[in-house]
Amino acid sequence: MQEFIAQTLNGLTLAGVIFLVSSGFTLVFGIMRVTNLAHGAVYLLGGYIGYSVIASTNSFFLGLVTAALSMAAFGFLLERTLITWLRRSEMAELLATLGLIYVIDDVALAIWGGNPLTINLPGILGQSSTLPVSGIVYPNGRIFILGVSIVVAAALYYLLRRTRVGAIIRAGVDDREMVGALGVNVRLAWTLVFTLGALLAGFAGVLGGTVLGLYTGADSDMLLFALAVVIVGGLGSFEGAILGSLLIGLVVDYGTAYFAAFAYSVLFIPVIVVLLVKPQGLLGRQGA
Amino acid sequence: MTAADRRPAGAVSPAGPGPPASRLARLTLVTLERSRPLIAPAAGVAVAVILVLLLQGNGFVSTLIEDALVYAIAAMALDFMAGYAGMISLAQAGFLGVGAYGVAIAENHFFSPWVAVGIALGVVLVAGLALGIVAVRTKGVSFVIITLALGQVLYGLAFQWTGLSEGDNGITLASLPSVGPIDLNDPLTLKMTVLVVFAVTALVLLLLVHSPFGLSLRGVRSNEARLTALGYRTGLHRYLAWVIAVFFAGVAGVLYIFVNSLISPTTMAFSADGFLVVMVVLGGLGSIWGPALGALVIVLFQQELSTYVSRWQTVMGLTLIAVVVLSPGGFWGLVRAAGRRRDALIARLRARQDGGAAPPGGAGQAAGPPLALEPAQPGTDPRQTP
Repeated sequence: MQEFIAQTLNGLTLAGVIFLVSSGFTLVFGIMRVTNLAHGAVYLLGGYIGYSVIASTNSFFLGLVTAALSMAAFGFLLERTLITWLRRSEMAELLATLGLIYVIDDVALAIWGGNPLTINLPGILGQSSTLPVSGIVYPNGRIFILGVSIVVAAALYYLLRRTRVGAIIRAGVDDREMVGALGVNVRLAWTLVFTLGALLAGFAGVLGGTVLGLYTGADSDMLLFALAVVIVGGLGSFEGAILGSLLIGLVVDYGTAYFAAFAYSVLFIPVIVVLLVKPQGLLGRQGA
Repeated sequence: MTAADRRPAGAVSPAGPGPPASRLARLTLVTLERSRPLIAPAAGVAVAVILVLLLQGNGFVSTLIEDALVYAIAAMALDFMAGYAGMISLAQAGFLGVGAYGVAIAENHFFSPWVAVGIALGVVLVAGLALGIVAVRTKGVSFVIITLALGQVLYGLAFQWTGLSEGDNGITLASLPSVGPIDLNDPLTLKMTVLVVFAVTALVLLLLVHSPFGLSLRGVRSNEARLTALGYRTGLHRYLAWVIAVFFAGVAGVLYIFVNSLISPTTMAFSADGFLVVMVVLGGLGSIWGPALGALVIVLFQQELSTYVSRWQTVMGLTLIAVVVLSPGGFWGLVRAAGRRRDALIARLRARQDGGAAPPGGAGQAAGPPLALEPAQPGTDPRQTP
């Protein structure tokens, strides 16, 4: 029972990291119809940059902020150049971001090498403490990550539901043309969402680097989780990203713990069930 | 065609009305017109060179071409699905792996090599039929995402189901099939077999492309709603295209393990799925031959030049981006465009030589048709409105 609770907590932590990555992915897809396959690579690059900053300054939080901001800048540039040039075709954008994966991975390999790296959390976050219920000894860092992702989720929820920018984004997901026709600067909203998505991915890279590690292939793993989340939750749905992240995070964790031979395959049971029963996703509105 | 059109270039009277044709222009025209019948022989020579290099060349070049032909089979099949039905799959290397693992695992369980091949192709077909039910429910970008997920399931099984797949180490193949005089353990016989299977695959795919089925697939890509309205079962068309592409990926997988004697999960990783898409897009979506060329280029870089050019993946990624941005038709698209441009040039030069006989503008307009059989540039499908 204790192990099950610990696995559940691990699954929730993983869900937190997955949520940070997939919420940006789903919003970008929802409002821009851009399938950014390089989203996982941005996550990994953010993690690596965070690792280097932390290694040289010894400040975890500086690393976290630097990674998030540098990836936001990267996302901004990417949206203003490549994505803008390819405005004419969803498939062209997808293929170009596929090419970008190879570039980012290769550059990361050249700079940080092929050995897995782990980011250490500072001070008390790096230690473990006994949980009040059931007396499990659990790392503080994982609780911290879970807390941070809940705070980010709440902040994003506020942004989307209670601000003008959020209203524009939500309206854009529902009907892009109409929002543009109403005189809203859709162009600016797109850049903003894309930048926000990259910022969240870079932020998640540092957090994920503490518990999952940074390694060649972490990008495609994370991309896969994000894709599974958006399929299950519904493309473009923020609430779907929360629900999907919880589901995928827990399934991946239980799968790895209890069915090691089929950990990857177990992940796709919810994906395939959702596709067959409700192809637009659990909380998706229009046909994907 | 009028008599004036057929008149040899030298017979043009310089005293005719209109701008006088310069010597250079006349020379260009003659060269261009005489070059047309040379295209087929040139292609023939290229094929012959590849044949000689494959069968007679030293180990380096010969192995390279052999590997490229194996990947070309999977790439051409992917192009059949992606270029004609608009279904870009990121699971193709996964099915290649299923074919290869199928042979290796069956042989390790004491089946004879030929039976192992049969089992492998059967497993690929069943996997394709089953996963196709899920994949074909989606279109466009969603299809890419679903196939990426399916490809990773296959990769995950190869990587994590160590009881069957021996995990990261992969499985080696002990012996290759042989029947009568055909013994695949002999390298030369194996090369011939790879070549024959490649040729048969290309032929089958080309026949399919030009069959009514292939034409309706293009219709599904460009306007599915219209085909549905006309009574076509578009879902079934897409499903069949998927099964055909998956099956040939499995065929490539069987040859892959024959050639390499080893299959490991890396062959099915996400980057390998991506490589096949890169081969198709670089070569040219919707051209069958283009992806074969793309396979040659990528295999050349991946297996041979990677020791000399350390950052070749960066080069490849940037090339893919450049192709998508600048020339969505890929290499084959450039060839087609060059052909059209040449025809236009011929027409313009001819018009100028014939002087007032034909207005210069009109002839240029009439140029393109012979090569304009293809629908609008593949790969640049207009953004769907929600």
